[in-house]
Amino acid sequence: MNDLAIAENNNDPYGLGGVVMDDAYQFLTFSVLGKLMAIGILDVKEIIEVSSMTRVPMTQNSIRGVINLRGNVVPVVDLGARLGSHVIKLTKKSCIVLVSLAFHGETQTMGILVEQVNEILSIPEQNRQKPPDFGTDIDSKFISQIGRYEDDFIILLNKEKVLCVEELSDQIVAAQSSLCVYK
Amino acid sequence: MLDDTKKIFIQESEELLEQMENALLEMEQVPDDAEHLNSVFRAIHTIKGAAGIFGFDAIVAFTHPVESVMDNVRNGIRLVDPDLVALLLKCKDHTANLVESISDGQEDISEALLEAGQTLLDELNPEQKSGALDVVKNKRENIEVSDRKNASDDNWVISLDFKSDALRNGLDPLSFINYLKRMGEIVEIITFTHDFPCWEDMEPESCYLSFRIALLSSASKEEIKSVFEFAMDDCELRIIPPRSELEKYLALLEELTGEELNKLGELLIQVGALTEQELSNALQVQSSVLSDDAATQEVKPLGEILVEQHVVSKGVVDKAVEKQESIREKIAQETQYIRVDADRLGQLINLVGELVISNAAVKLLVEKHDLADVQEVVNGVEGLVENIRDHALQLRMVQIGDTFSRFRRVVRDVSKDLNKDVELVITGGEAELDKTVVEKINDPLTHLVRNSLDHGFETPEERVAQGKPKKGVLRLNALHDSGHIVIQIADDGAGLDTKKIRKKAEEKGLIYAGQELSHREILRLIFEPGLTTKDTASNISGRGVGMDVVKRNIDALRGSIEVDSERGKGTLVTIHLPLTLAIIEGFMVGVEKERFVIPLSMVEECVEMDTNEWHLDKNSHYVNLRGQVMPYIKLSEFFGVNYQHGRRGRESLVVVRVGRAKAGIVVDRLFGELQTVIKPLGKVFQGLKGVSGATVLGSGDIALILDVQGLIGLASAKASDVKTLESV
Repeated sequence: MNDLAIAENNNDPYGLGGVVMDDAYQFLTFSVLGKLMAIGILDVKEIIEVSSMTRVPMTQNSIRGVINLRGNVVPVVDLGARLGSHVIKLTKKSCIVLVSLAFHGETQTMGILVEQVNEILSIPEQNRQKPPDFGTDIDSKFISQIGRYEDDFIILLNKEKVLCVEELSDQIVAAQSSLCVYK
Repeated sequence: MLDDTKKIFIQESEELLEQMENALLEMEQVPDDAEHLNSVFRAIHTIKGAAGIFGFDAIVAFTHPVESVMDNVRNGIRLVDPDLVALLLKCKDHTANLVESISDGQEDISEALLEAGQTLLDELNPEQKSGALDVVKNKRENIEVSDRKNASDDNWVISLDFKSDALRNGLDPLSFINYLKRMGEIVEIITFTHDFPCWEDMEPESCYLSFRIALLSSASKEEIKSVFEFAMDDCELRIIPPRSELEKYLALLEELTGEELNKLGELLIQVGALTEQELSNALQVQSSVLSDDAATQEVKPLGEILVEQHVVSKGVVDKAVEKQESIREKIAQETQYIRVDADRLGQLINLVGELVISNAAVKLLVEKHDLADVQEVVNGVEGLVENIRDHALQLRMVQIGDTFSRFRRVVRDVSKDLNKDVELVITGGEAELDKTVVEKINDPLTHLVRNSLDHGFETPEERVAQGKPKKGVLRLNALHDSGHIVIQIADDGAGLDTKKIRKKAEEKGLIYAGQELSHREILRLIFEPGLTTKDTASNISGRGVGMDVVKRNIDALRGSIEVDSERGKGTLVTIHLPLTLAIIEGFMVGVEKERFVIPLSMVEECVEMDTNEWHLDKNSHYVNLRGQVMPYIKLSEFFGVNYQHGRRGRESLVVVRVGRAKAGIVVDRLFGELQTVIKPLGKVFQGLKGVSGATVLGSGDIALILDVQGLIGLASAKASDVKTLESV
């Protein structure tokens, strides 16, 4: 019955892209800023290694660059810079998690650069709770829920907010105009 | 299936309506031009016919009276005057609305729309009723004088033989006959099956049927013929007008035998086309060939057969000839053009793009492994790929003329609203550019044209007072210039008031009071958001949104826009646009490890920079290039590149030109020309200036494409001295 109720008032309160969360909803976990984070497994299109990435000049740190994904140009967001202020250092373990978003009726694929991809976990509903109002060092708008797995807390990210195309695009414009001001 | 045909109908209607509008606007200038008249008639007529076949009754109901009015105009019954043209333009708009409502998938036309249609028709009709109907009546009377007494009025005999491929070609004989009912009443219909083979040979997909139809209708021959317009190629059609010469009917009978002959004979008698006498006479003539026929008929003595000499009127002949010509024209056009889905062309161009990239990859490998013999082949392939690319892109090129001629209506309507007298002169309409670009410049152009009409042109009185000709001239021109298309919108109106622009810009805080600006820089301010020199906003322009939107649209197309104006003389807006958005010739340069592509069409020359000769210091961002002051952008500084290995070798200066502006770009390495398949960077980067896209290199890496225009803009904004960027 609970499922049905959520499906009916499909307001997507958790920013999980309209996916109805059932008890055994699975999450892909990864580490960024030394913390454990996750996004819904159904949001993940694929995970790739970091090969060659092209920097886009005049952009803020959170835009790490663009990659060639089978002939398409895909922007990559540095999750460390996006959530905090630490640009992720590229290591052997760094990965790009590809996520697709709906933007003005089009599907936009974006990459998230993370320090390391860990595992896929089932986090049942009763182990997920609302983010605290304060106390996290990450802007709470990026967090949809906090999940608990054994003794760890896992930040369940709100992909719509983390990869908000409008916000990123506005930031690019702002970053660029701060470089070039009318004097 | 239905949706597909509907789509075709909608598309064709739109094209026809566009033709109609152009012709109407021409008619306004030259009212007596028969060609335009016919073109309007043909358009509305074809739409009506097609709408009928698809069962869009509302369109048929509306277009039919319009067509009748046009017919009257053609026959000289009604004269063309500006009011009529205006009304017909409205009718065109209404038809467009009807078509649109179908394309929206609405089954029922809304009440409001129907009402609007009725109002238009009422406006069209009163005159026609008094004038045209009388004439029609007179005609009818003339005919009746010589009419045969025993013949009932207006019975047409239609002989319709479908070819065996008719069904296979998607025609449904029944739908044509159903549609025929709209023209009048079907008095009698005979279906002939004499072509029917024996059952074993019968192919279910073939059509073996032919029909003889007696139709009671006041429609013209052309109108009846139009019912079968779509089936012309797949059937043999003979239409015999009422009261035709006897021979024509007899000719119909000739090819028939036995049972069928009798049936048709009866039909003809019934509809009054033939008397029994005539029929039997005809049969007697035939009986020498077909003796058994005569036996089945009751032979009457040879009487005096009254052969009617209703010679078809001259008008009808003219119509027929014209119809034939238009069909011939159409066939000729059809052989010249193939309608192709734009998506398919897009796919083809994408594939060609991938081919270009793959080819580059192959080339890279061949060079790497130093395979001299393969090299030759690869070069050959490269040449072919280039050819294919050029041809593929050519497929999507369309002439800009169609876009231009749409503005005839805008100019006409807006100038009428504003009580201004403006003539639109179009030149260079044959210049071609990519369809995707054409679609996107429509809005900016509309803005500019409206702006010019509203702000630019003075009223006729003002013009006369200033010693200018009463009629203003708005020019739209297009030309090709080094891989770009240049579109110019010129008016001979009041020109821009630089003082006013300055004042407004100061009010808005765009510049500070007393800031030194050149004439050109002040003019450029009109592209800033929120700036309008109009004190009151009208529904046409003056809200201060528009020019900045225009600029943004043009920027998005990697184009540039410049304005030039002289007070009292007029304004010239020049737009530079790339010919295509898919593949360009690029010039690759390198900075440290990063690679960038500059559109080759913008590159003027490359100069190697010898540190001894060239004086580069941090304060002055210009060099002396053969005595010319050349501002430059040092890409490494500009893009904040970190050099990991200290000083590098010699730098190079790439001289680029955008419109009138020239600048140098200092880079570390030159890689040379490269076919560049443009990949969009995506929505995230839409606000980013200086980089317009990306391309995938043969190695799989991505190189960014520089937006030279944007870079120069950024650099001049960054530079403390705005004047660094010299206008040549």
